[in-house]
Amino acid sequence: MNATLKINGQVREFAERLPATLAELLKTLHIDEATIVAELDGKIIPHAEFSTAVLRENASIELVRFVGGG
Amino acid sequence: MDKLIIAGKEFESRLFIGTGKFASNQIMAKAISASGTQMVTVALRRVDIDNPNDNLLAAIDRRKYLLLPNTSGARDAAEAVRLARLARAATGIAWIKLEVTPDPYYLLPDGEETLKAAAELVKDGFVVLPYINADPILAKKLQDIGTATVMPLAAPIGSNKGLKTRDAIEIIIEQAIVPVVVDAGLGAPSHAAEAMEMGADAVLVNTAVAAAADPVAAAQAFKLAVQAGRLAYLSGLAGQSKQANASSPLTGFLRNE
Repeated sequence: MNATLKINGQVREFAERLPATLAELLKTLHIDEATIVAELDGKIIPHAEFSTAVLRENASIELVRFVGGG
Repeated sequence: MDKLIIAGKEFESRLFIGTGKFASNQIMAKAISASGTQMVTVALRRVDIDNPNDNLLAAIDRRKYLLLPNTSGARDAAEAVRLARLARAATGIAWIKLEVTPDPYYLLPDGEETLKAAAELVKDGFVVLPYINADPILAKKLQDIGTATVMPLAAPIGSNKGLKTRDAIEIIIEQAIVPVVVDAGLGAPSHAAEAMEMGADAVLVNTAVAAAADPVAAAQAFKLAVQAGRLAYLSGLAGQSKQANASSPLTGFLRNE
């Protein structure tokens, strides 16, 4: 059975099991956590709480970062 | 030159630089440096999960430049407030360039939604710099609810058309109790100088620098133009007249009459 998360609007499947925490998810995706901001189910998660933010099945996650803009 | 003060913070430079559309982060960093700016704008977007390692912030020295995130992409007040809160979580400071642009063709700001978002963000402790149409009534309403500046547009974003809203911006400047930053549409250093000569407190430029063949030289040209414009404003330029007024004496001519 696959486990799924909704990341940046896209459903993403994980074989076996979900990453347990936001920090683990970012590591799996090779994203440097210092460069991003995360929302979990509509709530902003401070960087200090990445390793304790538990992911549940079908959680909705937004990962955003700064890009060039005027 | 006299300092610009926004929300109690002092700036030597009156030129803000946008970081969009540069060919590379390296060229952007050089242009920012050449511009002499102390404030740069950035946008917030979803991470590309399949290509996660493009890091703009690595190219911007935050000890030298205040990061001013914008809410670009927001179509209404609720989206703008959400982006502002995400930006605050990212920067650790609560400065935000508020923009609400529901129309993708002209990217003109929605004044009603901007005012609504500004009220909520000011209440939440943000230093709000709102991007607006050159609307003197809206500018007054915004400064009255506590925005740190008003940022009227010269012309549509990225259009490079210059100070098309000159008369309305003059009224905004006359009535302002906060700094007036002319934003969007300034396509040449002469446009920036014109805005500064009429008493704008600062200007924000992005496309005209980023899309120039030599962005570093363009950045330097804007720097000089903004300085010249500010100095000219402070000098109290003499007024215009219809007829000529001789600069040389009208006596002692070498002729017999």
